[in-house]
Amino acid sequence: MTEHVIRAAGIAYPRNVRSTDYESAQEKSKVFKELNTVITVMAREITVSLKSPAMLIISLVMPVVMMGMIGGNLMQNMAGGLGFQLGSFMLIGMAINMLFMFTAQGMTSLIDDHETDFTQEMLVSPVSRYSLVIGKIFGSMFGAILSMIATLAVGLVMGITLPVGQLLLILALSPLMCLSGGALAMIFIGVIKNRKVANMAVMFIVMPQMFLSGVIIPIQHSTGALMVLSRMMPMTYCVDLARAVVYSGSPQYDSVVMFNPVVNCLVIVALTVGCLIVGTYFFAKSEKVR
Amino acid sequence: MSAVIEVNNLVKQYKGAKEPSVKGISFSADKGEFFAFLGPNGAGKTTTISILTTTLNKTSGEVRIAGYDTDKDARQVREHIGIIFQKSSLDPQLTAEENIRFHACLYGMYGYRPTFKLMPAEYRKRVLELADVVGIGDALFKPIKKLSGGMQRKLEIIRSLIHTPDVLFLDEPTQGLDAVSRRSLWEYINDVRNQYGTTVFLTTHYIDEAENVDRVCIINHGEIAACSSPEELKQSLLRQELILDAPNRAELTAELTAQGLSYTMNGHVTVSYQGSAQTIINKLQTQLTVLQIHEPTLEDAYVEFLGNTGRLAA
Repeated sequence: MTEHVIRAAGIAYPRNVRSTDYESAQEKSKVFKELNTVITVMAREITVSLKSPAMLIISLVMPVVMMGMIGGNLMQNMAGGLGFQLGSFMLIGMAINMLFMFTAQGMTSLIDDHETDFTQEMLVSPVSRYSLVIGKIFGSMFGAILSMIATLAVGLVMGITLPVGQLLLILALSPLMCLSGGALAMIFIGVIKNRKVANMAVMFIVMPQMFLSGVIIPIQHSTGALMVLSRMMPMTYCVDLARAVVYSGSPQYDSVVMFNPVVNCLVIVALTVGCLIVGTYFFAKSEKVR
Repeated sequence: MSAVIEVNNLVKQYKGAKEPSVKGISFSADKGEFFAFLGPNGAGKTTTISILTTTLNKTSGEVRIAGYDTDKDARQVREHIGIIFQKSSLDPQLTAEENIRFHACLYGMYGYRPTFKLMPAEYRKRVLELADVVGIGDALFKPIKKLSGGMQRKLEIIRSLIHTPDVLFLDEPTQGLDAVSRRSLWEYINDVRNQYGTTVFLTTHYIDEAENVDRVCIINHGEIAACSSPEELKQSLLRQELILDAPNRAELTAELTAQGLSYTMNGHVTVSYQGSAQTIINKLQTQLTVLQIHEPTLEDAYVEFLGNTGRLAA
């Protein structure tokens, strides 16, 4: 379909048409060309993921460790007196955490591409660097969504269920959340050229957010530096948005959700765009400016 | 003819480097020309090709490819070029065909489809034809890891040409290839040049590869030391030699002296000359027993030029 649209929009548009039509068609074709780039890079990431059994296994096992073991222990020992069910609270947090963790981890494949010189092939192509990075993030989303689904399955085994309608809504919001996580990771990965350092950078991105963003521990009462840090984390707003979706209309809403969903959306978009611009700039610059 | 590659006073100094790797070089290549950059390792060949292909920023100077400035119109430049990097830039995790498909889609030739069978018939036909031409038809659906170095290089050629670029940049493309693979690769590139009029920019340190180009520039220490056709380069740098002998050597040497030619005695009589050997031979009356014409190779000229002047890069 994309090809049909690209052709219709006129990649090889005849020169004898009126100039305004021609320019409009060229602009349109550029948009579809970039869209095609995002799809192509995303498809490549998914193809590579599907050829890596280890990656698939880790995507499925990690939720058992995170939700089953860490979450299970917290539920058994710290669930009292919160005014809401810690299980559901944590399940939502862990699901979003998985999106962030696996998207950020997926972005480290840029280091592998750099080492195999495949980055050169991408950078010499006549497409926007943003399209390449966004395609990469969406490609990393495959493993992220797989692990999110596995987290929800672990939750199910633990007896924690979420309404199907809300789950579908979270699923619909997951590309934005992955984009947010991937864009944040790009700021670090864009300038790193070493796999080990990149893995450490991912830990550096994911671990503080897990504790500061309210994934497993409520942060409504955080003060001082911890409060400031939590408000700087994109995952804080993603987790809060997901909880707003799930707890919408329930009496626990006010004790679980911190911000208005519109505020959450606006902050996520702003942070994502900011991180994407900075990360892509670093990435392109680090390859070209030596 | 219009210049497809125009480089004026190009300078590149890497961060932290004490001196530039490329020191104000200027050259141009016309449409359809086969142009070679010849030089030892570290001479500045890859740096130059990286700037020309927009993968590296220059320090100063002006570079235009197909009429587009590499800084201001980098995207348009990329649309008009194909490149084979010094090191393979194939995705080792994909199959050969997946690598080509990825490239074709990135260049906006086709909308992405998840399998070869779902790609448009035009794409499938072209890929199969090209794969047959370079002899990798059987390996098209194999993972890159299972292809030999020669096959991978051929695949890179298919990939770099699938969007029919105006200029094909080849950065030491035959490095690590066996003789058979090298020959078939050059045959294919020549076919492409003849068929599409593609300008080819080659960097190499294999002198024999530069023998058949239209124009060769010798680069060393970031400077262009010489730039002309291989024939002109040989003639300007080296004198040709005639190796002669006769039963009556004294008569032969007297005749050579009379023609104003200098000679050395190294088993036979070796005469250095410029111009036509036929003219010299026609004037000789002495009966000859040995007659050999030693044509200098580009390698002779290259070694003479760089070696004797002590200008070889470290």
